[in-house]
Amino acid sequence: MPSVCFYFEVHQPMRLNRFSVFNIGQNTDSFSTYFDRKLNKEIFEKVANKCYLPTNKLLLDLIHEFDGKFRMSFSLTGTFVEYCEQFLPSVLDSFKELFHTGAVDLIEETYFHSLSSLFDELDEFEEQVKMHRQMIKRIFNYEPKVFRNTEAIYDNRIAKKIEELGYNGIITEGSERILGWRSPNFIYKPVNADLKVLLRNYKLSDDVGFRFSAHDWPGFPLTADKYAYWMSHCEGDIVNLFMDYETFGEHQWTETGIFDFIRHLPGEVLRHKHLDFVTVSEAVDRYETVGKIDAPWAISWADEDRDVSTWLGNDMQIACFNELRDIGRKLKKHDDKELLHAWRLLQTSDHLYYVSTKGLEDGNVHAYFSPYDVPYDGFINYMNILQDLKQKIE
Amino acid sequence: MKVVMLGWEYPPFKVGGLGTHCYGLTRSLADKDVKVDFYMPKTKHRSDSDKPNLVIKEVGETEIFPYDRPEDKELAGQFFEAVYRYNDILFQKVKGKYDVIHCHDWLTMKAGVALKEKTGAPLVVTVHSTEYDRSGWLYPNDWFINIEREGMEKADKIIAVSHFTKRIIVEKYGINPDKISVVHNAVYPIGEGEKKNIVLFLGRLTIQKGPEFFLKTAKKVLEHEDTRFVVAGMGDMLPHLIDKAIELGISNKVIFTGLLTEEEVKHIYQISSVYVMPSVSEPFGITALEAISAGTPTIVSKTAGVSETFQNCLRVDFWDTDEMANKIISLLRYDPLHSTLAKEGKREIELFTWDRVAEKTLNVYRGIT
Repeated sequence: MPSVCFYFEVHQPMRLNRFSVFNIGQNTDSFSTYFDRKLNKEIFEKVANKCYLPTNKLLLDLIHEFDGKFRMSFSLTGTFVEYCEQFLPSVLDSFKELFHTGAVDLIEETYFHSLSSLFDELDEFEEQVKMHRQMIKRIFNYEPKVFRNTEAIYDNRIAKKIEELGYNGIITEGSERILGWRSPNFIYKPVNADLKVLLRNYKLSDDVGFRFSAHDWPGFPLTADKYAYWMSHCEGDIVNLFMDYETFGEHQWTETGIFDFIRHLPGEVLRHKHLDFVTVSEAVDRYETVGKIDAPWAISWADEDRDVSTWLGNDMQIACFNELRDIGRKLKKHDDKELLHAWRLLQTSDHLYYVSTKGLEDGNVHAYFSPYDVPYDGFINYMNILQDLKQKIE
Repeated sequence: MKVVMLGWEYPPFKVGGLGTHCYGLTRSLADKDVKVDFYMPKTKHRSDSDKPNLVIKEVGETEIFPYDRPEDKELAGQFFEAVYRYNDILFQKVKGKYDVIHCHDWLTMKAGVALKEKTGAPLVVTVHSTEYDRSGWLYPNDWFINIEREGMEKADKIIAVSHFTKRIIVEKYGINPDKISVVHNAVYPIGEGEKKNIVLFLGRLTIQKGPEFFLKTAKKVLEHEDTRFVVAGMGDMLPHLIDKAIELGISNKVIFTGLLTEEEVKHIYQISSVYVMPSVSEPFGITALEAISAGTPTIVSKTAGVSETFQNCLRVDFWDTDEMANKIISLLRYDPLHSTLAKEGKREIELFTWDRVAEKTLNVYRGIT
């Protein structure tokens, strides 16, 4: 009997100020000059009102209505939580309320939604995982058992590290690169670590995340009963539906009917006697692994390529990433908490995502999310800031 | 299909996008089995065609260029007369049966309208620029505007080189948007050369092209980065610009080339590291495509027609010299930015072919014949 495992990624990056070459070396307060507080506040409040608050309320009602049988998991990034604490604590309260129903699980990730897992050394990555752990402990008094890396970036090295850090499970993309002919609807084990791997069913996940309002998609319009019917015909132990939480009300607007879809979904799923909902912790507890997966090269859930080319796909991105890494090496020799925090906020993967030059379909998705006219502007802005930070530590 | 096309400039003689467009369009139409008779005034350089379907017919003589202004002292008195004379000659010389009459910009619109009335053949007008663009929106001249409006009103179909231009035709000339098609320009790729430390401006030195913003930007760049600035082209602003460079204290870093030959233009594109097109009003801006095809990263005005269709370039407000300087310095400093823009730009440029322009133009013809 397949279990339905919903997991939502909740993240907002700290978007950057316009920072020209003329600003390099001309400021003292990094945080306020690098990051656009006004814009960030505006976007956060907008998304909170369109997505976080109404969706949390809806999910809370549904959990009560179905007596805890409707279950799900969340991952909240550190930058997101900082936004809540600065601008709208009520958003964080609503997540606490959801968590206290007992039907909601929390997932670990890097505090800064960073690409630190791709650095040569994993010390910075480990520190950021621990920062996230402390934050979840502080706010929810809970220790997550399952880890998900930024954008589901995964390889053997990361799996090994996550095992060492004491987690039971890890989440990544159900990519053919690691599965071959096998189904994502089972739990697997890394070749080199004692860990359970949950694999995103990207077809069913993207039916909601990307295709929900696509009129030219044969599945349109997607209704709760149709979706539940598809899941009821899935082979395997578990259907992992992982998506950005902002799908609800933000990527897919209220007018698309996304909230009605969610409202009817638990009832439609539970109508099928052999289906139920599980959290990620319950999934790894309940199901045994059926095979091994080997990921010598990093995969992710991003774009059509489902690798790390979304962030490291062109020379500009690689230059920024290397600069970021080199700055870190120097920075760690200083004891400057403010600069360290700024450097870490600059590691958020979104900054490199905006510099991607991928064309066609992926490019359209990038353009939707990007605050820049073209990726080249994203590069100039980001690189100028990195140059400023570099000057400060030299 | 047989088309009579009324032009004014054509390579090897050309000073602007109109001539480049007519050359690419007529040759690609000829390759698509369209018979084209292209009329133009006699010039010092003979224009010719090696394609059986395309015949270049040089008639009459004129001293007027498409971008001349009647207020030029040297042309005073003879400007309007010369235009009328050429249009009269066209009206007399064009004989025979054509499926379409096609003219380009105000210069030949009178003849186009007269021929339409005489022969009953449908009239297509391509608008490469309007009087508003050429005047930089300062004191546009009603004489041109009236000719343009009459031509646009009498035309069966109008081709605009951008949505930017289409909007002007609708809003300033009161033309029904349904009869306007947008066909973006194209380029014959130039090919890459060895880059030198040069930032290039290339175009007519008129208000429209914004050369003064280029100099102001140069001043700001030079405070942070050592490079040379080349101002290529001629125009009524040249003396003023030379004075301006001296006043800004950058005359040792700015080179004014005067008018360049076609070969020299290609060469300067190839060796420049950055091309800047800070036009105040730019219906399209083929020079941007030429620079990009030579592997030169390009900064263009946000409102330029090319901005609305080409992705792999940098866009600025023409008046924002701080941002222009920021982008130039970044291109000079950050190699990965320069190389990625050059590479992706050349990849995208392959989509901008004259064959595509001819195909879209042909679709316009088909809609009225």
